[in-house]
Amino acid sequence: MILAALILILSTAMFFFYFQVSCQKILRRQFDREYFQSIVNANRLEFPSLRKSLEEFGAPVDYPRLRMMLKCDFLALTYLLKNAANLNQRYSNEERLLILYFRWQFLSLAVRRLLKVGERKAILRLTSVLQYFANVVGQRVNTVRFGNLTAADYLLNL
Amino acid sequence: MDGNLVSYGLQYAGYLIEASLILCLIASRQRKRQVPLAFYLSSLLAAEVARACVLHAYGLKSRQYSDVYWRTDFLVVISLFILVCLFFRRACLHQEKMWRYLRLWLTFICLLVVGISGLLFSHQYGNLFTDFVVEFNQNLYFTCLVLNTLLYLLLQQIDSADDQLGLLVCGVGIQFAGPAATLALVHLMTRQGFAESLFEFTIPLCTLGMLLVWAYAIVPVRGRAVVTRSKATVLAEVTANLNV
Repeated sequence: MILAALILILSTAMFFFYFQVSCQKILRRQFDREYFQSIVNANRLEFPSLRKSLEEFGAPVDYPRLRMMLKCDFLALTYLLKNAANLNQRYSNEERLLILYFRWQFLSLAVRRLLKVGERKAILRLTSVLQYFANVVGQRVNTVRFGNLTAADYLLNL
Repeated sequence: MDGNLVSYGLQYAGYLIEASLILCLIASRQRKRQVPLAFYLSSLLAAEVARACVLHAYGLKSRQYSDVYWRTDFLVVISLFILVCLFFRRACLHQEKMWRYLRLWLTFICLLVVGISGLLFSHQYGNLFTDFVVEFNQNLYFTCLVLNTLLYLLLQQIDSADDQLGLLVCGVGIQFAGPAATLALVHLMTRQGFAESLFEFTIPLCTLGMLLVWAYAIVPVRGRAVVTRSKATVLAEVTANLNV
């Protein structure tokens, strides 16, 4: 009984550990330039300002507003991932995995908020997923850019 | 019924991804480097297809299915151990001295598992082969879980630049840890019906998770996140834009 409980705890912890490490390895992917900026500007996404305020000022955040901001950015970016300059109109494997990771972190944020432990870390992880998504969308849009149109112009013209 | 459908869906998605990954590995430029993965995926696929065929022909509670299940499980666990050993080899590619030391330890561990399984088996009576195989599979599976974690720690220790290997090891970790946790939960739970249905879902889900991580690691980056358009299409659009 005790052994089974121990195995359960250790294996569950290891499962989440490996899942998190895999997602963070994916998030560490280097893009040749910062594609996310144009997508952020075109869609008025709020995660960069949120991250900046957390990194620079460590400002206490209004939790309901923060949740709403992250959720809206997530919905906008997942929509763009699926539909903007994506011929297949579906998510790739790593995008699915990261969507799952985002949801898990979102849940963990609520738990951390209740326990008042490591809230900031969870928010930074969530913004890094959003930045990755914005970079992927930006890179895709960049490949279909033509003439003098920028990625942002392209999206605005959609 | 719906639960069964989801479970079958996950299972068949797993088969499809396994087959596509094998094809991708065969077509890959780094074919030689990926032989261990192709070997493991092929044995996994072969085992799953054999089980599905026997299940279809004889049913879930038949003796034939039980025999085939444990024999194929033996094949999968052995190839898993070989895969983990080959991952160790890849991690120590530039450290021959360390590899020589590790090789001895891996051989010793394998012999130890055979010995312990034999010892535990000698206290039991019944179907000789199946009993030994069940004992051996459980022990070797747990050993692989520990070895994989040690490999992950080794990669951190030597600060390995092989990112692909890191992801492959994480994939194997997901595949090991999920079912181990579920088995422990099944053992602890009193409601066997719920535990069994949980078990049916988590194993294909964890396999799918491992395959997705592996697919990300194996499929070249250039193949992702790129929308290709022919030169003629772009030229036509630019011309139209200029005319406007």
